[in-house]
Amino acid sequence: MNARYLALECRRIIRSGRFLIFSMVMPSVLFLILVGMYGGDDAAYDDGSPVAAAMMVSMGAFGAMSAALSTGARVAVERGGGWQRQLRLTPLSPAGYLYTKLVVAMLVAIPSIALVSVLGATVEGVSLSASGWIIATAGLWLGALPFAALGLLIGLSIPADSLPSVMGLSSMLLGLLGGMWIPAQIAPDWLSAIMKATPSYWFTQLGQSALYDDSHVLTAIAVLAAYTLVAGLISARRFVAGAQRA
Amino acid sequence: MTKTAQPTPDGAAVRLTGLRKSFGEVHAVAGVDLHIAPGEVVALLGPNGAGKSTTVDMLLGLTAPDGGSAQIFGRAPRKAIADGLVGAMLQDAALLEDVTVAESVTLVAALHRDPMPVADALAAAGVADLAGRRCAKLSGGQRQRTRFAMALVCDPDLLVLDEPTVAMDVETRRDFWRTMHKTGRTVLFATHYLDEAEQFADRVVLMREGRVIADGSVADIRAHVTGRRVTALVDRPDTARLGALPGVTDVAVRGEQVTLTCADSDQALRALLATEPSSRDIEITAMSLEDAFLALTTEGAAR
Repeated sequence: MNARYLALECRRIIRSGRFLIFSMVMPSVLFLILVGMYGGDDAAYDDGSPVAAAMMVSMGAFGAMSAALSTGARVAVERGGGWQRQLRLTPLSPAGYLYTKLVVAMLVAIPSIALVSVLGATVEGVSLSASGWIIATAGLWLGALPFAALGLLIGLSIPADSLPSVMGLSSMLLGLLGGMWIPAQIAPDWLSAIMKATPSYWFTQLGQSALYDDSHVLTAIAVLAAYTLVAGLISARRFVAGAQRA
Repeated sequence: MTKTAQPTPDGAAVRLTGLRKSFGEVHAVAGVDLHIAPGEVVALLGPNGAGKSTTVDMLLGLTAPDGGSAQIFGRAPRKAIADGLVGAMLQDAALLEDVTVAESVTLVAALHRDPMPVADALAAAGVADLAGRRCAKLSGGQRQRTRFAMALVCDPDLLVLDEPTVAMDVETRRDFWRTMHKTGRTVLFATHYLDEAEQFADRVVLMREGRVIADGSVADIRAHVTGRRVTALVDRPDTARLGALPGVTDVAVRGEQVTLTCADSDQALRALLATEPSSRDIEITAMSLEDAFLALTTEGAAR
């Protein structure tokens, strides 16, 4: 990977003001609203987990997921515009290009997790164990990797002009089915079966393990790793095939 | 200035051997052999759909050939690009709209191991004064020159340009070729501007329907079409009578304006003056490269 290429890509993201603000601020705003509505002072779910802490983890996960997903999908614009062809005239390898895009997507996922966590710890008075905080921050961040890869796959698969609608829909669906908006526990059986097939469900499970010991955490890590691997491999194949066709 | 120490086992900057590529039923490139020596400036000329762009794509390793091989300085295309030996400007390769001219060129420089200073590339391509401008705000000609700077910044031995001046006005085009010639590199450029090939290429390779139909200096190509053209004003011209004159192969009449295509213009002119005493404003011209081009490409179509 080329450090100066990565730096330029980061500058481009920072320049895209609206995009960055939206992906950073939106989860925090939702977090504050949701806690305001349901959080009370010591409100807790039936299983005893505090509402504010659960919402913090959910919204951190949602923010990280949508940031990684939509940053990855930005490759659609470069594909349509012929920039990838231009890059193929340089020594940059296809792997170097895709890794750079993945790293950028992961970097964009950081601010939303950070902001939600800071608000949780200060404004909403969430208290977690040390390992709980590590899972709610670093754990969520690493768990966003499959979504960066999925974003890349979407960006390599759809035309640039349908990007906004597809991204809006997929974040929304993944958020809903992943139980980021509504706890999975209250879903009917048929729906919960569908939910368990989504990467976002396991991402939420990973986040929830910050609140209490969760035996599902290893399953969650395995599922997320599998999604990363599959989406990454298909992306690499699509990228090479697309370059050949052009 | 260039990395001239490159060992070139067979002494060729570019060697295409039996290159073929089909898209479905269409034989876009149907067996192209081409050998370009270091330092040559070669125009790849042909009508749309002749296979120029596909040939260039295969030369650069962007498209895998169905058959044959492409080598640049004795290496596979990807290797030659990785070694920084090739700079290229493609028709449909784009710029990033949200990035400045200087950033674009700096990026390409950063991806290469041994680039020239970015400022030099910007100056050579004539975009130094646009360095801080976002690509979204460039005119067509400025975009082309930015892309030229990006092709140049790796300090390549070979420049491959696909329709490089397509968005440029006449003056910008002339400036472009002036800077191009100053670089003193091996250049292969695809174009459909005949005058560009005529003025700037040492050698013209003419393509039609995926094949090379002529290859040589501009003079060589022009020699494919022998004869001259006689134009004159004639009162009440008669196409049949003019066409029957000795030495005349073709006649075009527009009002009083007569154009005779002649195998032997001396003979035709004597006959014209004898049979048409009203003939005046007579001009005799050699066939242009355009005539040769038309003759060669339509001749190919008739086969």
